[in-house]
Amino acid sequence: MMNRLNFRAVLLATTMSLAGLAAQAETLRMAMGYDPVSLDPIATSDNGSIWTQLLIYDTLVRPDATGEKLEPGLAESWTVSDDGLTIGFKLRDAKFSDGTPVTPQDVQFSIERAASEDSGWGRFYRPITSFEIPNDHEIVMHLAEPFTPAFNNLALFAAAILPKAEVEAKGQAFFDAPIGSGPFVLKKWTRGSALELTKNPYYWQAGKPAVDDAVLEVVTEPSARAIKLEAGEVDVALDPPLNQIKDLQSKPGVVIGEVIPYRADFVQLNTRYAPLGDEKVRQALNYAIDKDALIKGVLYGAGKPAASAMPVMAYADPDLKPYPHDLAKAKELLAEAGYPDGFEAEMLVDSGIATQRNTAIALQAMLSQVGVRVKIQMLESGTQWETTKAGNYQMSLSYTTSDTIDPDQIIGFVAVNPERANAYHTEWKSDRLNDLYAQERQTVNGPERGAMFQDMIRILHDGAPYIYLYHPATVWAQKDYVKGFSVLPTSNFRLEDVTIEK
Amino acid sequence: MFQVILKRLLMLVPVLIGITLIGFLLLQVMPGDPASRAMGTRASPEELEAMRRLWGLDQPVWVQYLYFLRDCVTGSFGVSIFHKLPVIDLVAARLPFTLGIVLYSTLIALLVALPFAIMAALNRGNPVDSAIRQVFVVLIAMPPFWLCYVLILWLALGLGWFPTGGVGDGFAANVYRLFLPSLVVGLSTAALIQQSLRSALIDTMKADYVDTARAKGLNGRAVFLRHILPNSLISTISIIGVRVSWIIGGTVVVEKIFSVPGLGSLLIDAIVSRDLPVIRGLTVFFAIMVVIVNLITDICYALADPRVRLE
Repeated sequence: MMNRLNFRAVLLATTMSLAGLAAQAETLRMAMGYDPVSLDPIATSDNGSIWTQLLIYDTLVRPDATGEKLEPGLAESWTVSDDGLTIGFKLRDAKFSDGTPVTPQDVQFSIERAASEDSGWGRFYRPITSFEIPNDHEIVMHLAEPFTPAFNNLALFAAAILPKAEVEAKGQAFFDAPIGSGPFVLKKWTRGSALELTKNPYYWQAGKPAVDDAVLEVVTEPSARAIKLEAGEVDVALDPPLNQIKDLQSKPGVVIGEVIPYRADFVQLNTRYAPLGDEKVRQALNYAIDKDALIKGVLYGAGKPAASAMPVMAYADPDLKPYPHDLAKAKELLAEAGYPDGFEAEMLVDSGIATQRNTAIALQAMLSQVGVRVKIQMLESGTQWETTKAGNYQMSLSYTTSDTIDPDQIIGFVAVNPERANAYHTEWKSDRLNDLYAQERQTVNGPERGAMFQDMIRILHDGAPYIYLYHPATVWAQKDYVKGFSVLPTSNFRLEDVTIEK
Repeated sequence: MFQVILKRLLMLVPVLIGITLIGFLLLQVMPGDPASRAMGTRASPEELEAMRRLWGLDQPVWVQYLYFLRDCVTGSFGVSIFHKLPVIDLVAARLPFTLGIVLYSTLIALLVALPFAIMAALNRGNPVDSAIRQVFVVLIAMPPFWLCYVLILWLALGLGWFPTGGVGDGFAANVYRLFLPSLVVGLSTAALIQQSLRSALIDTMKADYVDTARAKGLNGRAVFLRHILPNSLISTISIIGVRVSWIIGGTVVVEKIFSVPGLGSLLIDAIVSRDLPVIRGLTVFFAIMVVIVNLITDICYALADPRVRLE
């Protein structure tokens, strides 16, 4: 009898301590607005997929928390030769989540895959023409000609390091249950609803991640994300509606975080359209905009005025100031250009985004003060994109974002003509800027290359093929017991340092 | 009966061929292409070309159409450009939630509408009738997105009885979690049903055969249940049929607010990203569902009213 009682007591005690242990398993729950579509890094370009991939996979190098330089990832250290043609990496002792070591062969396979025909990002990696593997911990990459952005591109999600043997054996099915060397492993994926991640027991940063599980809930409606946080169903809500931030802030236990990511908002000006072909007219439009009012009224204060179409990133010139709000100057410039009474223009606006609609209405009012009568044309985003691409527009409210910390990618897009998009379809062209762009790509990272970027951005600022607006902040709302969470300037987030301190 | 169903299902074939053709051609004239949607600001013209080649979008239109027909026949309905999965798999993952809302909301609608329609019809013209009518007019006029937030703020945030959204694992969890979204959809269905059923009941009550039944000596209850109610249900069945066809693809707003991964939001997301195979596949799938729902509606007519013959 005694024995049985004892047994029961032991059983009870065990159950209780197990329950205690289980209670300590910490889960971080987040609500995000994007629904990831695929975990194949070379085939995706949507935020949901990219952010999730960066939690599961590692890259050789990665942007540091400030976003201004790169820090070691899977590579412990690296060397770049003086001519820029050879990049050598020393790999750390890292393991994939199935326990197998990360080898230089995996690195070569992943980068070659990213450069392949099937990759959406091939252009970024094709300059790397050959690989050399001197031993189990080193890999050397060779370039046929200098291409400075190549190193930065290795920090991009598309260059995530995958286990060669697994991907080759499973093909596309690998990405349904992917294996990476990052802090988390995919546990369960309910498409359109949630991704459940659990910590990678083999992660190379000892003792991290601090939370055991992370759940990324897909909540596409911004108000619903804010409500979920308030109801305590999630610990972090990304991008709550801007007009609810003040209200959220006043709730007990809720903290608002804010980071300016690599993004710039602007109005594209089609320089083939008569009044907009004149630099003075374009500058006048820039002087006519009260950026502080826009930020206060439309962004509820969450943003900074923009001096150009470039996000503020590495090599940014702190002395370059945005166009001031100066109506007299704007009118004077318009008169000089032969439009003392202004003119009429049509502006394309994405109908699906509240902020864009509100900005457009404010711009319309501001420009009317200098006699420019703007007609707003609301379009679905895909249609807006096609219309501007075809050159069939006068003004179009738009923005650009950067995935890498190096300005090369974005300047090639917004300022260089022809290159990729004819200066984002403004058809504006500066030969001097084009020359600098070609030079920059062959100049080793350093102050000299930085000066080239500063020159290019200044030329872009003066030429004004856009009305420069603002750099909107990425905002998140979180519970105060979540420590160490932040959104990076590249818009993604890392969770290995996040702790829950209830 | 069986033959009729078979005949109806065979009629699906020409309907579907028509739908595939219209759906396909409409997408051809829709501006926007998936390659530039996917690559956004990053790609060069050559890369966009390469993307299109990869996805078979560089093929002549009629070749693309034939591929699409083949995919419909083999049952995959095409492969999503972005998800890299057969459309049928994407549909299968979301169909349970959509069907859940369809059945659940219809059940709620009937539970709400039937008693009040009967009560209103029996009290025709007196204050009970007009009170009920006013409540249901308000129900009809309430925009669903507004009702969603009112219910969330009141029942989920305020009283904490329900989660604010999302779906769960298994049947029981979803009966609980899908209640609020189904209630929103169900209440607007209920408002439609209540009004038409009330007037149908009043009309039927005046019919001669009802007088005959009373004259035979049947009591009021039997007359109502056996004669008046079944004969008045035709309009209710029509409304439910139309609503169900609509709910299958049309509850995007409710799905988005309650974070339910249903077919409506799949379609909207596919349109925004220009995932052409998904848009096409869903168009055909919705068409099949509409035909099937119509068939079920017709069968229900025959069950409710023996005078209706399915021919």
